[in-house]
Amino acid sequence: MKTQNFRKLYFWILPLAFLFYACSSSTTEISFDSSKLRKASQEEVEKVIEAFILAQDGDVIEIPEGFYNFKTQLILDNKKNIQIKGQGMDKTVFSFRELKTGGEGVKLVGNEILIQDLSIEDAPGDGVKSQHVDGMTFRRINVTWTNGDKSKNGTYAIYPVQCKNVLIDECIASHSKDAGIYVGQSENIIVKNSLAFGNVAGIEIENSDNAEVYGNTARDNAGGILVFNLPGLPKSDGKGTKIYDNNIIANNHVNFATPLGEDPNGNTVTMIPPGSGIILLAAKDVEVYNNRIHKNKTVGIAISNYHITGFPMDAPNWSPYSSNVFVHGNDFKRTWRFPDLTKEFGQLISVYNAHGKGKTQDIIYDGFFDQSLAENILSNPMNICVQEAGIEKLHFTLFDLWEGEANIKASKDYRPFVCQSEVFTDVSHLTQK
Amino acid sequence: MTRFEFRILFGVLFLGMALSCSQKTNEEIDRWDPIAILVAEWPEKSVDQIDFANIPFKNLSDYGFFKGEVMALAPSERVLPYSPASSLFTDYAFKSRFIWMPKGEAATISPDEEGTLDFPDQTILIKNFYYPLDFARPEGPKRIIETRLMVKQNGAWEAYPYIWNDEQSDASYKVVGAEKTVQWKDAAGETQVINYLVPNKNQCKSCHNANEVMVPLGVKAKHLNHTIAFSEGASNQLVKWASEGILNGFDHPEAYPNMVDYFDTKEPLELRAKAYLDINCAHCHRAEGPASTSGLFLNYEEKEPLKLGIFKTPVAAGFGAGSFKYAILPGKADESILTYRMETNIVGAAMPEIGRVTTHREGLDLIKTWINGMNVEAYN
Repeated sequence: MKTQNFRKLYFWILPLAFLFYACSSSTTEISFDSSKLRKASQEEVEKVIEAFILAQDGDVIEIPEGFYNFKTQLILDNKKNIQIKGQGMDKTVFSFRELKTGGEGVKLVGNEILIQDLSIEDAPGDGVKSQHVDGMTFRRINVTWTNGDKSKNGTYAIYPVQCKNVLIDECIASHSKDAGIYVGQSENIIVKNSLAFGNVAGIEIENSDNAEVYGNTARDNAGGILVFNLPGLPKSDGKGTKIYDNNIIANNHVNFATPLGEDPNGNTVTMIPPGSGIILLAAKDVEVYNNRIHKNKTVGIAISNYHITGFPMDAPNWSPYSSNVFVHGNDFKRTWRFPDLTKEFGQLISVYNAHGKGKTQDIIYDGFFDQSLAENILSNPMNICVQEAGIEKLHFTLFDLWEGEANIKASKDYRPFVCQSEVFTDVSHLTQK
Repeated sequence: MTRFEFRILFGVLFLGMALSCSQKTNEEIDRWDPIAILVAEWPEKSVDQIDFANIPFKNLSDYGFFKGEVMALAPSERVLPYSPASSLFTDYAFKSRFIWMPKGEAATISPDEEGTLDFPDQTILIKNFYYPLDFARPEGPKRIIETRLMVKQNGAWEAYPYIWNDEQSDASYKVVGAEKTVQWKDAAGETQVINYLVPNKNQCKSCHNANEVMVPLGVKAKHLNHTIAFSEGASNQLVKWASEGILNGFDHPEAYPNMVDYFDTKEPLELRAKAYLDINCAHCHRAEGPASTSGLFLNYEEKEPLKLGIFKTPVAAGFGAGSFKYAILPGKADESILTYRMETNIVGAAMPEIGRVTTHREGLDLIKTWINGMNVEAYN
């Protein structure tokens, strides 16, 4: 009797819960339930730790099916030609829920490293980090957090940094408190056929050169795909990113990078307004084309300069401006949902855009430009080009924020920016992998 | 069965389950008791005769670093104690450090600003981590947790962690790390209990890393250029090494860099704070270190305010940034990410990432005092 009652309740709760989540735009969706997997024994767990520690150049580390509960980090130390292979992302699961020290669950250093067919869960910091790797391939790995309370989640799911020749293929990254797939200070990069959902940022390319991001789905993040250049880093600036053939859909998730109601901290990602499809920040040489940019409630594509953050901009070999951007041939669909008001950037777009309060924007340009190059933005000094079919029907806003909050100006006039440009990338050598 | 009986039965079952659970937890906690100590002697062995091809040996006693009673950790001949002026905080563990070089070989000081030392092959660094049972009596009874070796062979350093047994008679090589419940009475007489984490072998390189090459940290001229007690009397360590014949071309102490002891209140605050950051953070937070990704450089020699974190926004700090904007906000230690990450024990936010599960109160106070004393105007 009791069970039946419970079942009835369950029957009602499920759709209600679904509605609730749909409204509040937060998700704890899981790709599969790892708790049903066989628990690996302590000996098996130690065997994997030892395989990483004692790895020699050329090793293939095969990990059998099972749920592996690690209390220490898995670190591969400067080895060459290593393949780390599970039996499938729903078969071999590394859990770092009980990790008591260290930043990331898995750390990979060396050359020509492949990690594939496994899942990484609940690392306190980053899921898998690779640093100083030439030839880093992530294939069919799933990195996620299973906490119901997402404020406890880690920073990046898949995190190559200071790497060369990075391929991320058919991966899933979800529920990161920062970016799901984050490529930083690297060169020669492909992110393709991957899925990022439930993160603050879906996919982010930061201070990196020569990157192509294609065939991915970024959905239900606060921001779908970001191209950023931040000041004061060893790799001081980055250029050359193509973003094409992606589904960038309903990135309306709450920005949980800081606790609800708390102001953004110094992490730029904390400022991302929920409902952002693509954000370019101090980005150089970026082409965005043939993407489906649908139902992002605040803005489809935001082209912005570092000024918008309000942070100091004095850094060597780095420019706060976005320049040479070519946006064309994308498919925009807006949503009935009200744009974001939780973040300053969201408020700017929602309230001050040129099409009317509360209107979702397809493309915005914050309007900062290098005043040593021109007196007026109408000459398009930063070479920001937009060529979209039916652009007259899109919600395009050019802001003028030079005078600060006191006098925000906005214009619908896209004409100064109707032009073509060229962005050069070459990652063909990575498609052979 | 009546409902009442059922309830009793259920209650008993539940109690039984609860009891069995708590028993299990008790077993899991490593309850070390000094009674476990077996008084033992190191076997007679000479480190001069070890076969380097067979390193790592199974037990610490296989090397011959120490002689006499095991727990005294008294060095054998030509095994020299050393001590950096400022030392890394590791959950209040005490450390004793030794260096050994093969006969006839010597190290050379490089002319860089840190006085990096170039060591001959087969140099061994030995570092013991232990807790006196009562911090008021540091020379009294203690518990030794681990001994970490760094050995240079074929031009490359490698780290070998040894974990001590409960009997305190020897330590054995273990690569996967360990967790030990450690208890001590602190200087104020209060009992402290922590879960000490012995890092796994590859975590060593999370700190001992310059451009992905394993390097020793505490053995640079700047850390050693001061006087310590040796069994034959006090001496500047570099002078001692030179007189022992293990340091080439040594001039005089003033010719080399030196760093202050951050606990020495007679030294200027700025230097103490930077010494603290150097030894606790700069192994990663430097251009050659793993945390170069952050652009935050905390080595003693760094002078650029932005790189030292002043008005510097984070990059990949995630929730490590707390609710703050800058690594250091001059004059406002409590609104600086640096002190937040030093204070918190949340895994993933706590800094350093490994090597501590507790907050170093004294170190935190030093850095807070330094930041609070900064003049905001100077950086605007």
